[in-house]
Parts: sequence; C-alpha cells; structure tokens
Amino acid sequence: MPKIDVSQKDLCNLIGRKLSAEQLGDEVLFAKAELDEANGDALKIDVKDTNRPDLWSAEGVAREIRAKYKPGMLKYDVRKSSFVVNVEKSVEAVRPYTACAVVKGLKINDTVMSQLLQLQEKVAGTFGRNRREVAIGVYDLSRIKFPITYKAISPEGIKFIPLDYKDKMTPKEILEKHPKGKEFGHLLAGKSMYPIFIDFEGEVLSVPPIINSDHSGKVTEKTTDIFIECSGFDKKFLYTALNVLVAAMHERGGIIYGVKVVYGKNSSITPDLTPKKFRVSVDYINKVSGLDLNVKDVIKLLEKSLYGATIKGKNIELSYPAYRQDLMHERDVVEDVLIAYGFNKIESVIPKLITKGGVSKEQYFVQNVSDIMIGTGFQEILSYTLTNVENIFQKMETKGEAVELEKPMSANWSVFRAWLLPGILEFLSKNKHVEYPHSVFEVGNTILRDNSSTRAKDVTKLAAAVSATTVNYETISSYLDALLKNLGIEYILRKNTHPSFAEGRSAEIVSGGKQLGIIGEIHPAVLNNWTLEKPVVAFEIDLEEVFELLRKK
Amino acid sequence: MYALTEEGIKYLKHGLPEKRLIELLKENNGLLMRDATKELGGEFAIALQWCKKYKCITVTDGKLALAGDMPRETKHQESALKEIAAGREPDPDVLQILIQRKLVEKESEGIVKQAEKFVGKEITNLNTELIKTGMWRKVKLRPYNVEAHGKKIYIGKQQPYNRFLRSVRRKLVEMGFQEMKGPTVELEFWNFDALFQPQNHPSRDWTQTYSLKSPKEGTLPEKVLVEKVKATHENGWTTGSIGWGYKWDPAKAARLMPRAHGTALSARTLANGPTIPGRYFAVSRCYRPDIIDMTHGVEFNQTEGIVIDESLNFKNLLGVLKEFAVEFANAEKVKFLSDYYPFTEPSVQMSAKHPQLGWVELGGAGIFREELTKPLGVDVPVIAWGLGIDRLAMFKLGINDIRNLFSQNLDWLRKQVIV
Repeated sequence: MPKIDVSQKDLCNLIGRKLSAEQLGDEVLFAKAELDEANGDALKIDVKDTNRPDLWSAEGVAREIRAKYKPGMLKYDVRKSSFVVNVEKSVEAVRPYTACAVVKGLKINDTVMSQLLQLQEKVAGTFGRNRREVAIGVYDLSRIKFPITYKAISPEGIKFIPLDYKDKMTPKEILEKHPKGKEFGHLLAGKSMYPIFIDFEGEVLSVPPIINSDHSGKVTEKTTDIFIECSGFDKKFLYTALNVLVAAMHERGGIIYGVKVVYGKNSSITPDLTPKKFRVSVDYINKVSGLDLNVKDVIKLLEKSLYGATIKGKNIELSYPAYRQDLMHERDVVEDVLIAYGFNKIESVIPKLITKGGVSKEQYFVQNVSDIMIGTGFQEILSYTLTNVENIFQKMETKGEAVELEKPMSANWSVFRAWLLPGILEFLSKNKHVEYPHSVFEVGNTILRDNSSTRAKDVTKLAAAVSATTVNYETISSYLDALLKNLGIEYILRKNTHPSFAEGRSAEIVSGGKQLGIIGEIHPAVLNNWTLEKPVVAFEIDLEEVFELLRKK
Repeated sequence: MYALTEEGIKYLKHGLPEKRLIELLKENNGLLMRDATKELGGEFAIALQWCKKYKCITVTDGKLALAGDMPRETKHQESALKEIAAGREPDPDVLQILIQRKLVEKESEGIVKQAEKFVGKEITNLNTELIKTGMWRKVKLRPYNVEAHGKKIYIGKQQPYNRFLRSVRRKLVEMGFQEMKGPTVELEFWNFDALFQPQNHPSRDWTQTYSLKSPKEGTLPEKVLVEKVKATHENGWTTGSIGWGYKWDPAKAARLMPRAHGTALSARTLANGPTIPGRYFAVSRCYRPDIIDMTHGVEFNQTEGIVIDESLNFKNLLGVLKEFAVEFANAEKVKFLSDYYPFTEPSVQMSAKHPQLGWVELGGAGIFREELTKPLGVDVPVIAWGLGIDRLAMFKLGINDIRNLFSQNLDWLRKQVIV
C-alpha cells in the first residue's frame, strides 16, 4: 500500500548491481512490491505489505533484493556510548515513552536526504497512525549537549524558534499558528501539559508530535552525525519504528550508537537490534505450500529472506532482524519462503473438489420477476443504494427514518434508500429529453431499520413506472396484473391515500392478508418536486413478501 | 358481415316459432298441446321453450293458456332478422342471441363479394377475404420500399451491467460455487475483527471505511465466538499465533458500518458451518469513502469467495486464480505477484493476459490465516479469492468511466447491444 519514490541509480547502488527498470520490476517482487512507474531515473514503487515498514524505502527494498544474491542474516552492531535521555514522570499523562539512537558517519546527499525524509514520513504517517502512535524527530547531533531531558511543560512555559520559522514561539502559539501545529495540534488537544525534548543547555529539540526546533532539528547535507527519537504510547511500536530507521541509515554507512533512556530507577539502551527468534517446521511449510522441500532447501530459501536458520530436530530455529514485527505465526515465514522460491516457478493445480453450485431460491425468484417485467416491455435500470433524505422523503412528500452514514463523502449520498420509487423518479427526471413513453423498472436492495443484531435489514423490492403524455391508473394496473398473474399470485387492490400519489388514484396491493405494496398515479406535487413534466404512474412491491407467499403455496 | 341461416330465412318468412304460438293462442286460447303440435310441427318445442322463458304462457293439464302480451324480445329478434337480411348490422346483444339460436352466422358467401371489390386492382395490404377466397391471384401487391429500415421500437431489456453480473453468477455456479448472503449494514466484528484485523492498526485504515451515524451500534454474536476472537487478537488463543498483543475492545467490534468488502460474507459463512469441501461466492455491494471519479463510483460490487478443503495448499491457490483467468478473461498466460491482505498469508495477486486488454490485474487470493479460521470453527485450509470483475464489465460494455455501470441515461440503455 505505501507508495515510495526512489532513484533507479540509487537503488542499484544499494543493491550492488546494475539492473534495468524491467529487471527491477521483477526483483521488487521479492520485497512484496510492484514497480508502478519508471520515468527516467525516477521509479514509483508500491510496497504491498502494510505490516512491514522496513520495506518502505529504497534502503529496505534494496536490502531485500540484495539478499537473493548475498543470502544470510544481517547483523547490526550497536556501539556503547555515554548518551543519556532522562524521561521525567510528567510525560506519563501526555506521551509516556521514547526510544532513541545516535547514528554517526552518514554520507548525506540529496537522494539520501529525500529517502530518509520519505521513510520518516511513511513510518510516522502510516505505521505511526499520523504521528499518534509514533512521532519521529531527527536532529543534528553536533547541535545538542547531552544529557537530554524528555518532560512535560505548560503550553506557554517556554519559547523557541520552530523549524522553518524566524521568531520564538511558545508551544501554544505553535499549535495556533505554525502549519504543522495546525495539522497535528489535535493530538495534544485538551492536554494541560505538552511534551518536550530539551538538552543540557536548555535548548529545545522538539515538541512531539508536532515540530522540531530550528536550532537542532534541521538535518542538511553537511550533517554526518544525528540523534533520533521516537515518542508514543507503546514501546513495541516505538522500538520497531526506531529499528527500521537506524537499519536504513546503516545501509547509508551509518554507525549506530546506543542511547540510555532513563525512567526514574529503570533504564534501557535503545535501539535494541538483537535478532528476534522464531521456530518453523519443514512439514508445516510443505503442507501450506504444497511443495516438497527438504530442510536444506528451506534453509537456503530462508537465508535469501534474511533469516538466520539452524536445524533443531524436525524444526528450524530462526533468527531474524529486529526491525521486523510482523511474524506472528509460522504461516508468515511460509510466505517469505515462497517469495524467495518465486511464485511463478510454482505449478498451479486446480483443486479437484466435488461441490454443488447454486444461487438461492430467492435469487432465482428475483430473476423471474425481472424476466416478467422485461417481457412486458420495461427497461431495467440500476441505481445506487446510497441517496439522500431530500430524495427519498422530501421530494416524495413523505417522512421517515433511514439508515444514515457518518461523515459521508457527499451529502448527495448520505443515507440508504428505504424504497425504490424515488430512484425511478430521479431517473425519469434525468431523461426528459429522451423519446417517450418511458417504461422503466428496478429490482434492488433497500435497507430498512429493524431490531436485528445489525439494526437494519436488506429488503429486495421492485418498482416500475410508466411516463407518457397520456397515462393513467389503468395503464399501470394492467402491468401489475400481468406481473402478479404470471407469478401465480391472487391479489386485491384496496383504495388508500398516500402523500406521494394523487388523491383517489392509489391503492394498496394486498394478498394473503399482507400488504405487498402500492400502486397509483404519482401526485402532481411530487412531479413538480422532481421537475417532471409528464404524468407518471407507478407501483412498488416488496419482493420478500411475495416470495414468502409463494413459498407457503 | 352476417347472414341468415336457412332456419333464419324460414323464420323471417313465417315468423319466429314463439310468435306463431302466441298468435295461435290469441285466436284459440286453451288449445291442447297435442293440437298445437299438429299446427306448428317441430317448431312447437322451440316455441314452448321460449314462451316459458318469457313467462307468457302457462300449461295446465295439457292445455296452453296465454299469460301475457307478445314479449319485447321477440319483436326485437324479428326486426333484427330483417336488418340482417337487408345487409345492416343489428343491435349487438340481439345479434348474439340470434347467433346462439343459429339463426344467423358470419357471412361466408359475402366474403366473395368483398374480395371481388379488389380484383384487378393494385392493393397495399393483403386481407383475409383475398387469402380465403384465393382471389389474391387476381390482385397485384403494390411494391414496398423493402430496403428502408423499420420504425424504431424500444424493447424491454435487462440493465447491461446487471446482465453481465448475471453471467458472472451463472459461470461461478457452473464452476461449483454456492452463493453467500449477508447484510449490507454490518458489525465491525464481521467486517474486521473476525478477519483478524486489529482494532488500532493501519490495516483498518487501509480499507478506509464508513461508519454509521444512525443506527450506531449493533449486538455482537454469541459470547463463545466473541471470546475466541478476542483471545486470538490479544494473544493468539490456540491458533499457534502470538496475536497482535493489545487489549481488544468489544464496544468497537459492536459498531455498525456499511460492508466494506465481501470478505465479511466469507467470515459469516465460515462461522455458520460451511460444507467441506465447499466453494462459495458472493457478488456484493460494498462501500468505501473514495473520491468519486472515473475509477471510483459511489459504491461498487465485489466478486469474491472461498474454497474450503483439508487438501488445499498454495499450489491450489494459484490453480483457483488461473482457472478464473481462463474462464473470465480467456487468458492463457498469467503472472503471479506477491501481495498483502491482513487476513491471508500467503497472499498473491494475479495479472492475466487478456486477448484485447493486455496484462490486467484480474484478481487476488490468499489462504486465510489460522487466526481467522480457527475462532470461526473451521480447522481446514480456506482459500479466499477476489476478482476484478468491473474492469472486465467496462471492457465488455465499451465504457471507460466506472460510474456508467450504473448509467442514468435512458437513451444509452436503449441503444446498448445485448452482449
């Protein structure tokens, strides 16, 4: 799902091979990705896995492809250091945790810069749920004096120059005025204290998850050493995000240093890049894949997917890079094995199963109803099930309660239709210039409120209408008669009044003591509401009721 | 035209039998039936029958007595006989009675006369008289401009996209698939939770879904099932998984939404005890908040389903997709690409080489995760598949804007060729 922009040259350099766009198109499949576009050096890659942020950058894609040529687990060295971040208790109520790292010796050019920014944005955006779960700050290490403190302060308790600004502002002012403050301010809404990273000399690093300071929060091509922090609510998320970032920087020659994060009496060194452990059985892999692989084959394929693998009885002990957090079940390893094997090298076998096909009796019945209507010369139409209150109630001079969407894309499509006739009239109103007479019908789903577990039920209905210079009740009642007689339904028409129909020109359709629907001449007021200029006669019936009558017979 | 039968001609001359009987009695009231029979012969029985009907005579001890005047009906019938003899149309009700009495019949000799009028002439239309009498041999049919097209008529037709979907359904049924049913308004439980999509994760954004303003909340299914799904999300339950590792919230699962994908139907089908081996499908209306454009309508149909059996594996997954490629796109060549769905693993996307369209993304499939199947009570592999049917529909109907699948243009619908 995440789409990333990469440079072909850069990608090839990272892989260590010169590959054409076409070749890359095949290779990116190993990274569960697809090459969407190749425009000169600029490639657009669609990475499918929303659960693998480690693949959302040129570095990550390249690492996965390179493993096919140089298989085996990658080891990451986290060097010891004296960098310390003290976390004060005050952040507990706002944004309680952080995970930090220092990376030195980076060679940053334009391409590297844009890749790092893109990765940071994708990780905080998609994986970090628009900074809610994970906010990321990257800083120029040379501008920071350790130890750093992570604490909460009052929104007006400090002033500093935010990134890309000239004047000092309080965090409160940033939320009100700075574009990033406006975009992400809702994440701090209602908080009496805001979180802040501040260094030993009192220089502000950032107000997460909003904005970095101009002082240290700017990374340029001259920067070689950086400090990174991730903040949020769940250490598991933060560690994954941090590991993804430092592993990508490692691809750019960065040397990773640990940072001691202190919570009162407890402390831990981040990042923790110790390989994670998992176990799979060859039998399970063969069962799921349908292949007949032996242990050696499996280990080879696993190494092509960056696993470290050792045999332990009938099982394989796995170690895998700490930037991955997607392994929940043996099944997840099977897919990696199959991708390394190559989907297109696997024989496809149509399952030989004897099963009985069919559609429901209701479905056959509904098709019969359509066939009869078509036989009487009506054109079938198809409308959306979403509509609006004005159409289904106001224009029809009726009232009612429909199933309603929260935050519809458009007010035009904000409720589900409770009956079909409004859709028919809407259709007629759009075709006034088309040769008359118009005889149209729709068989479709309506959604009505009820007391079931979903508080709504689907009811299939039929509506049909004729519009022409001269039509009347008799026109439509003979079509209704043709329909019901051909279905073998005896019925009576009982005079009624309905606000959508002209007085004295409408009736209920009744059979077996049940009301099946309504028939009549559309009220001229309703015609006016739809700006229709010729008379319309119509009926609508509940096909579920009709089906029920036929079932009882 | 009508003509008198022999009997009719006779009565025209002598009067109707009932009239003759009444006149006889006027002269000779109390006449014996025996004598009346002598007088009227075979007509006496007819006369008696009608007079009884009109209640204008009584019979006592074999004696006939007048009980009223000459009936109006008799007068009307006699004058109708005269009218017909004169070549005029009488009152239709009386005519009907005379026809029933076999006094009048449709003119057959008159036909000849009718037909004779056309002899030697050039005529526009053939008619019954000419055909029946054979006199068509003596007329000339005026030549028509037979090369001109006929006048336009509009027939009753199926909506073209519906027609296409019906053919898809038929094909799937032929392939052994049963149709699944489920509600449009769905619990998040069935749309997400039962599919092992965690409650707070981008994958739930990935489908980008609507929720409902009213009604807002439904009722979760039975507790046993809910508990299994909860445990699977939190710690993997007994599925062999470690789970997502978070606190699962039943209130979120009880929220209502319009179905975002047909997979919700598959989840319900699995929970309802499907047949094993089994093949199921649904063409279901789905709803997502997309910006409406040429490739995104207000709502859309998803065609998808499942195949269930102990024997199924990844090779079969590819087989299922390949079979669809052949059946639905006449594609001989297919390409498989890695893909990701939160509820299947492994997952595959298929491109098929359509004879006219070239390579098209035709569908995707995967094997449902144990974290999905086991809580729903299914312990065998389940292959889930989805087909990009709308692309093929658009090609078949010759349209390039997906919104036209629901065309509101009557003229276009009338002109659509049935394919």
